[in-house]
Amino acid sequence: MTPSPESRPEETDMELINRWKAGDSRAATRLVGRHSQALARFAASAGEREGIEELVQDTFVRAFASLDSFRGESSLRTWLFTIERRLMLDRRRAERRSRETVPVQEADQVSEYGALDGLIAEEAQERVRESLDALSPTQREVFTLRVQQGLSYKEIAEVVGSTEGAARVHYHNAIRTVKEFLKNE
Amino acid sequence: MNKCIDTEIQEMLPDLLHGSLDDSARRQVEAHVATCESCREILDVIRTVKSAAVFAPTIDVDRVVRQIPPYRMIVPGVEQPARTKLVTWLVAAGLVVALVGGGSLVISKQQTPAPSTVGRTQPESADVNVAAKPGNDSMPTPAPKTQLAPASPRGLALASDIEGLSDRNLAQLMDDMDQFDALPAAEPEPVIAVDSGDGL
Repeated sequence: MTPSPESRPEETDMELINRWKAGDSRAATRLVGRHSQALARFAASAGEREGIEELVQDTFVRAFASLDSFRGESSLRTWLFTIERRLMLDRRRAERRSRETVPVQEADQVSEYGALDGLIAEEAQERVRESLDALSPTQREVFTLRVQQGLSYKEIAEVVGSTEGAARVHYHNAIRTVKEFLKNE
Repeated sequence: MNKCIDTEIQEMLPDLLHGSLDDSARRQVEAHVATCESCREILDVIRTVKSAAVFAPTIDVDRVVRQIPPYRMIVPGVEQPARTKLVTWLVAAGLVVALVGGGSLVISKQQTPAPSTVGRTQPESADVNVAAKPGNDSMPTPAPKTQLAPASPRGLALASDIEGLSDRNLAQLMDDMDQFDALPAAEPEPVIAVDSGDGL
């Protein structure tokens, strides 16, 4: 007996992509369902406070529009993180231009994220958020991709456009900072 | 508390929490953490940060999927819309008309005799002779007969009125015609056919 599509064992991302290309819209639903929350968490960890759902949506629209260029050399999630990160950078640049302020440096961004806090309800979460705010944007991206998403250094380097060695250094500096912050609280 | 210097183990701590280590590596890391206070502390930090990542909004999957266009709408070339095909054909037809029309104009201009054409026949022949002179370094020196042969049909074609020819031009024309007879029949025939309608 042939199993129905719903009862199939977990399909790989590439299998779902091929099904979607063949016209099966349910494959898109499964792909979005599989990766959307990870993208939302990454955006939130990277400092996005508003429009996260729109950001995730734009990420998927862009990704599906260029799926032919996805060769499967990295995981689909890593590729999605890369697209989402570019969108976040574009969004921040646009916000800076619209405010017509002095270009925001890394140190400014840290205080900016701290000022936007307000969504964290529990005390432990707030402490973690504050400890992440103490990191530079690149450290925060590397740290959250490693700790919260479980990406390898190679994948992280691909997402942030860096090297594995640099990603390692960012991670170790970040964990030292976060550890000290949480210890002193 | 002594700082742990086993960076290899430290780098695997997030993987331990994500369950992405194989059995051998997992047992190795767990055994190390059991005896290393520094790594236990780092593991606690990682666990805290990982479990605190719950503030992201819940994404409406259906809403996102509705914004994704179907594959065939995204990828061009699978099936072109009819309007695109029509525009392509119109452009192609326009190019053909322009080429045919332009070509016809050029041909008709070449066939229309100008009043000074006959007078120019001689100088053109002279130019050919000049070009064929040994003093011209850029040109090889062909035999005189083969040099004049291509000019003869042209002279005939441009002579609209034989009465307007001077004796010298008439003699030149006769010489040209003599040479023309020696040419292969296939090449000059169309020229003669065109000129015959002009009263020659």
